[in-house]
Amino acid sequence: MRKMFLMVSWLVATSTMLQAGGYEVSLHGQRQVGMGLIGTSLTLDASAAFNNPGALAMMPGQLSVVGGINGVFASTAFQMEAPSVYQAKTDNPLSTPFHFYAAGMLTDRLAAGIAVNTPYGNSLEWEDAWAGRFLIQNISLMAITVQPTLSYRVTDMLSVGAGFVYAHGAVDMERALPIEGPDGEARLHIDGSTGNYGFNAGIQFAHPAGFQAGLSYRSQIDMEVEGGDALFSNIPSSLATAFPANNKVDVSLPLPANLDFGLSYQATPDLLVGMALHYVFWGAYDELVFDFEENTASLPDSYNKRDYSNTLIIRAGGEYRVTPEIYLRAGGYFDPTPVNSEYFSPETPSLDNLAFTGGVSFLPIPELSIDASLLYIIGLEEDMRYTPENFGGSYSTRIFIPGIGISYQL
Amino acid sequence: MTKTHILPLILLFLASLLGGCDADIDAFSPDPGEADFTTFVSLGNSLTAGFMDGELYREGQHNSLANLLAGQFMHTGLEDFNQPLMHDDIGFGNRLILAEADGQPLPVPMPGTPDPENFENKYNDAGPFHNLGVPGARIQHLLFEGYATLNPYYQRFAADIPTSSIMGDALALNPSFFSLWIGNNDILSYALDSGEGEHILPPEDFRVAFQALVGQLTQQGASGVTANIPNITQIPFFATVPYNALLLTDPDVVALLNNAYAEAPHISFELGPNPLVVYDSDHMAGIRQLEKGELVLLSALNGISNEGWGSQEPLSGEYYLNAKQIEHVTNHVEAYNDIISETASNFNLAMTDVNQLLKDAEPGIYFDAIAFNTEFISGGVFSLDGIHLSARGYAIVANAFIEAINSQYQASVPKVAIGNYPGIQFP
Repeated sequence: MRKMFLMVSWLVATSTMLQAGGYEVSLHGQRQVGMGLIGTSLTLDASAAFNNPGALAMMPGQLSVVGGINGVFASTAFQMEAPSVYQAKTDNPLSTPFHFYAAGMLTDRLAAGIAVNTPYGNSLEWEDAWAGRFLIQNISLMAITVQPTLSYRVTDMLSVGAGFVYAHGAVDMERALPIEGPDGEARLHIDGSTGNYGFNAGIQFAHPAGFQAGLSYRSQIDMEVEGGDALFSNIPSSLATAFPANNKVDVSLPLPANLDFGLSYQATPDLLVGMALHYVFWGAYDELVFDFEENTASLPDSYNKRDYSNTLIIRAGGEYRVTPEIYLRAGGYFDPTPVNSEYFSPETPSLDNLAFTGGVSFLPIPELSIDASLLYIIGLEEDMRYTPENFGGSYSTRIFIPGIGISYQL
Repeated sequence: MTKTHILPLILLFLASLLGGCDADIDAFSPDPGEADFTTFVSLGNSLTAGFMDGELYREGQHNSLANLLAGQFMHTGLEDFNQPLMHDDIGFGNRLILAEADGQPLPVPMPGTPDPENFENKYNDAGPFHNLGVPGARIQHLLFEGYATLNPYYQRFAADIPTSSIMGDALALNPSFFSLWIGNNDILSYALDSGEGEHILPPEDFRVAFQALVGQLTQQGASGVTANIPNITQIPFFATVPYNALLLTDPDVVALLNNAYAEAPHISFELGPNPLVVYDSDHMAGIRQLEKGELVLLSALNGISNEGWGSQEPLSGEYYLNAKQIEHVTNHVEAYNDIISETASNFNLAMTDVNQLLKDAEPGIYFDAIAFNTEFISGGVFSLDGIHLSARGYAIVANAFIEAINSQYQASVPKVAIGNYPGIQFP
């Protein structure tokens, strides 16, 4: 266990992403990614612990271990609102969300498992001195969850499951302040981490004719950083009293609840098709508040309206067994932005996303599968503004996410 | 989604894979519309020249209204724009910078000796010049042949010192587009002198001059942009020091002052903010306390803070404007602005409502995620002299000019990004 956490913390250090709407990351298994991120109704392996705890007790075999990692190559372009020729781009570092699942059947009907993954995160670095730097220069936001899970097969057609979720969240962000001194422009760097609890529960229905249906719910978890560091740099000495040097800040961010419904059908022994509806309760993200421990006339608490809306993401995909050793997958989804176009902050440039996925598995032996996936996301160009601070323009994103993983099962 | 929508998206997907994963975005297409920006001349006063922080200096000139506009017109056909740049950032030596005093930023004169080169006429070496903004110029000066002999800022770049006029130099360039922002000094020279001795140019004379200027500039078919002028109540130089700036916190001092003015029973002091005591020859006692609404000039601040002005020693008449003087100024600003609007409309010129822009900015306004207001030093719109704009202030006004131009001429001149220009430099 200790070793696993060491591995996890190493991954965390390099793990940054922005992949689904808002700051959600839906890379929860290479096989699911290959099929357009469907997963709720699938009983493939231990990854069910996260995707639908209700489905875990229906996994094939007695023991399953799944691990994988994705590389997120994301780029966002900005064109200032007309009339303007100003453009800027992000220069994001490679980010590497990961997932690890293990599960075993304790009895014929009872399964236990654990899921460790990164369901939320966001990372971007805008080019130096870009026009929106007073809103955000760079941000790295991530949540890692650990979820021990139990699942029970009530009948051959019905199983239920639930998991306890511990989430660890960390935020690190920097923006410029419109204050200039001998050292250049002032900056505010915020850095903090926190933990909180939630749950994940689901139910799975399997029909002998090959139909499967799943329903799962993951609760909202509020990440409440208390006493994070608020470091002001390059503050001119004549304004030093206005910006206390080693200030602290409280900041809270919701990891919104999810409601998932999935349907899949084993059309032939070689062909599996499915779809999923992923409903995200983004309405919980109403405001981003920076509550500074020490306030001054120049440094009041900062209230930044976000006003997100709940979103429904429609996903579809399938898997085809070419030979017993080779599987091919394809899928896609449409992920409408949860962001209110009047309160669009370039810290989370989340657009209406259209995504295409593909995947392949190779099984050198029946117990071991090497899985690869490819996800390509087009963030459709749209005019957005942060009206409270009169900053607007159009944004467009392209995200390219290759992934690799292995799964082992007995 | 129909098939006809899906096909292009699939093609987009394949094309994107081939082209890598860099996001692209549609670029804005600038367009001159009905205007011709090939040759742009900018006429006006210090606000056009790039005067800020009490002086005309090289970096300020780079961020002048005229130069900012020209930079944007380059996207819509402007070929060349030449400014009569100072040799350095000292100029004639009146520049202010912020220094730290008791932990507070305060404007102080910038050290340094002016280079004689800054005073030399540059026309033969570096002319002709398209930025014809001349600090200090009033409306009638623009037509005044030989004005360079009276104004060293014009003497620096006039085509011929004894005979040139600003208008003559402008017309010699055969402009296709012009900016004309004038009249501020006609108001300011009265207000800065607190109405002592000066009178304001009557609106009828302003009308004659303004129409003559526009008439000459448009005679060869040029189009252009003009702007109205702010009221003095909108400018930190007049709006910073409150009429009751005398803050008393010590009962002994209150008693001392009341005692000192015992001979003048209409003057009294109490704990808290008190109206300043001023000389007023119209008052039967010769001194009185200011009333709400009266304006104290920023130049009195140091005397009030450190020399006992307005308390131990009544403030002299040149440091404040009484209600009558303020009304006189306001009436003239309104009359001038009516004439500017009317003339712009008659000649189909773009008209920039700078007066309204500063009204909007007063309570606080964001541009490109930067907070501005019209407060002295901290507000960001005005420079350290409290009268002229800062680099970002000129950028904000340049964008207002561009909006007016785009609207009048169905043009698409791009705006500037405000954050690209320097803010106030704090020590």
